[in-house]
Amino acid sequence: MATAAVITVTALQKRFGRHPALDGLDLEVREGEVHGFLGPNGAGKSTTLRILLGLMRADGGTARVLGRDPWTATVAIHRDISYVPGDVSLWPNLTGGETIDLLTRLRGGADERLRDRLLRDFELDPRKKARSYSKGNRQKVALVAALARRADLYLLDEPTSGLDPVMETVFRRHIDRVRDEGAAVLLSSHILSEVEQLCDRVTIILAGRTVETGTLGELRHLTRTSFRVTTGADAAVFAALDGVADLRAENGTVEFDVDSERVPAVLELLATLRPEGLAVTPPSLESLFLRHYGEEPAEAARR
Amino acid sequence: MIARLVLAQLRRDRWQLLFWAGGVALLAGSSAAAVGQEFGDERERAAIVAVAAANPAFLFLRGTPDGTGVDAVVFFQAFAFLAVLAGLMSTFLVVRHTRGDEDAGRAELVGATPAGRLPPLAAALITAAIADLLLGALTAAALVAGGLDPEGSALTGAALALIGLAFAGVAAVAAQLMPNSRGANGVAGAAVGLAYLVRGVGDALGTPSDDLLRVEPATATWFSPIGWGELVRPYTDADARPLLLALATALVLWLAAFALRARRDLGASLLRERPGRPRAGALLGSAPGLAWRLQLPTLVGWCVGAAVLGSFAGLLAPIVADAARENASLGELIARLVPGTRADAVGAFTAGILGMTSVLAAAAGAQAVMRSRAEEADGRAELLLSAPLGIRSWLTAQVGVAFASTAVVALVAGLAAGAGFVGVGEDGEWFGTGLAAALAHVPAALVVVGVVVLVFAVLPRLTVALGWAVLVLALVLGQLGDLLGIPDALQDVSPFRHSSALPVEELDRAATLVLLAVAALAAGAAVALVRRRDLAS
Repeated sequence: MATAAVITVTALQKRFGRHPALDGLDLEVREGEVHGFLGPNGAGKSTTLRILLGLMRADGGTARVLGRDPWTATVAIHRDISYVPGDVSLWPNLTGGETIDLLTRLRGGADERLRDRLLRDFELDPRKKARSYSKGNRQKVALVAALARRADLYLLDEPTSGLDPVMETVFRRHIDRVRDEGAAVLLSSHILSEVEQLCDRVTIILAGRTVETGTLGELRHLTRTSFRVTTGADAAVFAALDGVADLRAENGTVEFDVDSERVPAVLELLATLRPEGLAVTPPSLESLFLRHYGEEPAEAARR
Repeated sequence: MIARLVLAQLRRDRWQLLFWAGGVALLAGSSAAAVGQEFGDERERAAIVAVAAANPAFLFLRGTPDGTGVDAVVFFQAFAFLAVLAGLMSTFLVVRHTRGDEDAGRAELVGATPAGRLPPLAAALITAAIADLLLGALTAAALVAGGLDPEGSALTGAALALIGLAFAGVAAVAAQLMPNSRGANGVAGAAVGLAYLVRGVGDALGTPSDDLLRVEPATATWFSPIGWGELVRPYTDADARPLLLALATALVLWLAAFALRARRDLGASLLRERPGRPRAGALLGSAPGLAWRLQLPTLVGWCVGAAVLGSFAGLLAPIVADAARENASLGELIARLVPGTRADAVGAFTAGILGMTSVLAAAAGAQAVMRSRAEEADGRAELLLSAPLGIRSWLTAQVGVAFASTAVVALVAGLAAGAGFVGVGEDGEWFGTGLAAALAHVPAALVVVGVVVLVFAVLPRLTVALGWAVLVLALVLGQLGDLLGIPDALQDVSPFRHSSALPVEELDRAATLVLLAVAALAAGAAVALVRRRDLAS
């Protein structure tokens, strides 16, 4: 089923002086999906979000948000957008509660029951001055302000980088809630487990360019599953299989990675070998990420 | 270990300390030179001292005169101000290295080393002691260079250093009591202000001698560390014993600070941070509301400064009138305060002082614009502008607050000047004169603010640097141009040259309207142009 696009970005360009921050970035976020926006620091995630908010103007390419040009229809689209910046800086002498009220009132007022629930869920004391909040608490203030009023689109720039694991769970619950309400979420991150748990589709960028996009399932063909087998058999039998890489053998233990599509062949072979021990690490975005940014970043960007 | 910490603190503060100590010494040296030059004649000094001795407001501000010797007149003129500066340097320094470090989390890094709990505090106090000794020594040297008696100057320097040490103690205790550095600086700074006020009361209530050349301070002066310094009378009946009080105060407060520090956790304080409001008031729901809320505390500060400076115009009017009669060169100097005019002393002095407050008014507005830049640079504007709020309406709110700040500061200065005239018994007409003189400069001040707004809209990253440059240029060219002998054509660049210096000049309606139009045009252009640029962090 084809759903309408909430965000459509094609061939986006942005330069800061001579440094190209965005160099042909493509991105599509559909209605009702949580979209992961992955890339290492400095890849251009925050710049993209600022262009989507109309706070910066693109040098080339097109961006449509909720069907409109964010640079010309800035105020109009902001009515339906909630945003959490990557580095939350608050007014030092306003309390958390005052900040939340200010930001939600500018968007037409908070849903009071939701506001109370968010404060409880995130265990945030609204009477403390922002000056005395830690990074995590500042982030909570911005999250509560962003989530306390319904929006059609949530733009979240590394929203969990200061949260502890308990609060990450709370955050995930609320993201699931807004998705159930039909909103779209664009969530930038370099934390892969977070994206794996939350996102329906993912766009991976590197040096201002989109290198991969698709569902997690679609991206799995790019990933490898890791095997660790304790067996008396010669390691060479594994090397003979298609799609096996990084083979290491030591004291009767063989370790290797295999393209996820080739796993069935490995399993057939293992059944005949009767291994004493077996550990299989499922494909993760981590490995995908490493292959793009760790091993051959330049090549990945060229594709 | 302590020595290492002290070295690190001195290194961190090296420029700041040189600036403070050097600045205080420069102030002392230049007032020594000025007194020698302007009042070289004993008869002139006798006249000005007699006028001052008869005026409690002057005694309150400056201290008590002690004869007509050049040395004694310099001490009377400058000591209270120098002592306030020494006190503030010490309190800021100690808070910076104690509670300030705790706020920033640096104290935790140091606390994790074998430094222990007390050495960082001891190091901060030793650093303060070194800074105070430096300030005292440089000031004494500057006074000697200005031609004053070496022994008396050494004693003056020692008094400043000991007063600094006492206030370092106040700050060390405040840092233990208050939950953050802002609070600690507030308490310690207020203690310095209180010491100045208490000795002001004592001096104002003092008993003048029959020849009006000396004033014996009242008891209240004995309750102020700054008063102790005055009571030393280093250039006449030198008596160092009051300084023992300063030394004892310093020791008691230092020990108290150690005792408090030994008993508390890092980051904890005896006074807890007061919880704020869990909900925003009605004001905080719009861009102008937020802008006002952020500007209000700073605006109060500007207004206090403008009120003090403005009140001089009225309060000192009788002194100026007398002094100008007695001393031709002083009259000449006063007349030149207002560029391009010759007028009676009180009128010229009023116009001069309110010309200065108009620079304060412009500075208040320019500073509000610089706050907008800080909002943008720190990322708070990004958060705000992600709401359905255009950058133009945001900037309009900021400009409104900046312009209004300028007008309010000028108004307060005018009211204070008027109240000053009424306070020294002038008739009500002078109240209006003071007010009008202050308000006449508002259009010129708005032009300065408008230019800074335009810089912010087009070259945001240069807002602060160019903003101060515009202000200083307007001040130097427009207000001090004649004193510094700057060519007229260059002076005319400053908007202040085109506003009317009441009551010396007539109000030039055409120029006033042009200035208002230029300010409005600059602001309008800024609002139009800001939409063209990216938000720049």
